[in-house]
Amino acid sequence: MRPTIVFCTAVLGLVAAGARAQGGPTDPQIAAIVVTANQVDIDAGNLAKKKAHSSEVKAFAERMVVDHSGVNKSAGELVQKLHVTPESNPTSESLKKGGDDNLAALGKLSGAAFDTAYIDHEVAYHEAVLSAVDKTLIPSAHNAQLKALLVKVRPAFVAHLEHAKHLQAQLAKSGG
Amino acid sequence: MAALLPLMVSPGTTAAKLPAAAVRTHTITIENVQYTPAHLTVRRGDRIVWVNKDLFPHTVTATDKAFDSGSIDVSKTWTFLAKKRGTFGYSCTFHPTMKGTIEVK
Repeated sequence: MRPTIVFCTAVLGLVAAGARAQGGPTDPQIAAIVVTANQVDIDAGNLAKKKAHSSEVKAFAERMVVDHSGVNKSAGELVQKLHVTPESNPTSESLKKGGDDNLAALGKLSGAAFDTAYIDHEVAYHEAVLSAVDKTLIPSAHNAQLKALLVKVRPAFVAHLEHAKHLQAQLAKSGG
Repeated sequence: MAALLPLMVSPGTTAAKLPAAAVRTHTITIENVQYTPAHLTVRRGDRIVWVNKDLFPHTVTATDKAFDSGSIDVSKTWTFLAKKRGTFGYSCTFHPTMKGTIEVK
């Protein structure tokens, strides 16, 4: 099993376990999960902008940086407005660690191997985050505006996932 | 182009009898990584305004490259004057899953 899959399964497991144990994450915890999830993908995107081999993968990485930065800007403005202080929790910490591990793994790769590993991770990552958004974050969000933000960012994760899957298929075809 | 139309009316035609040639403005909202409405029918000479209400930039780019907004930032708009009849498919170059069509009659 590839490390990316292990990581994402771990994240999902944690989110699900948290939901069962404590009736779901609190709003401050959700805020930390959202901000961390976006930041992790921004960090991977910044690395891929520099290291990606294919121009399409590079363009995708650039989009991840721009889009997730846009989402985090809105999230930041909202938590300030709501006076919610993001609270670190096992899920946000696991996301951060998974992101760091991914950066370390990608750092050792180059060329087509880098592109494949980066895009494979993006597919698994967006699938895992979407599942967490649907099963845990939206149902658990207490504040209506926080819930609305989660609903508003969901289509972006869907579009990114489709885009990443398309690139994954292209890379597989080209032998990358 | 629309501004020139009154000049093309032949002398002797009574302007009052002509249908109103006012330019209509249509709005397409970009939000949730989609164009709403995704399909829009307009009259030639109408103005179409895309408003980006999403959290990040998008483009409005014709499949045949007949028009291209370039990056439309958050809370910004892009206006297009429908001069040519036909059906034009378009998409967002940043997000290939986003698709729309405008039909100019």
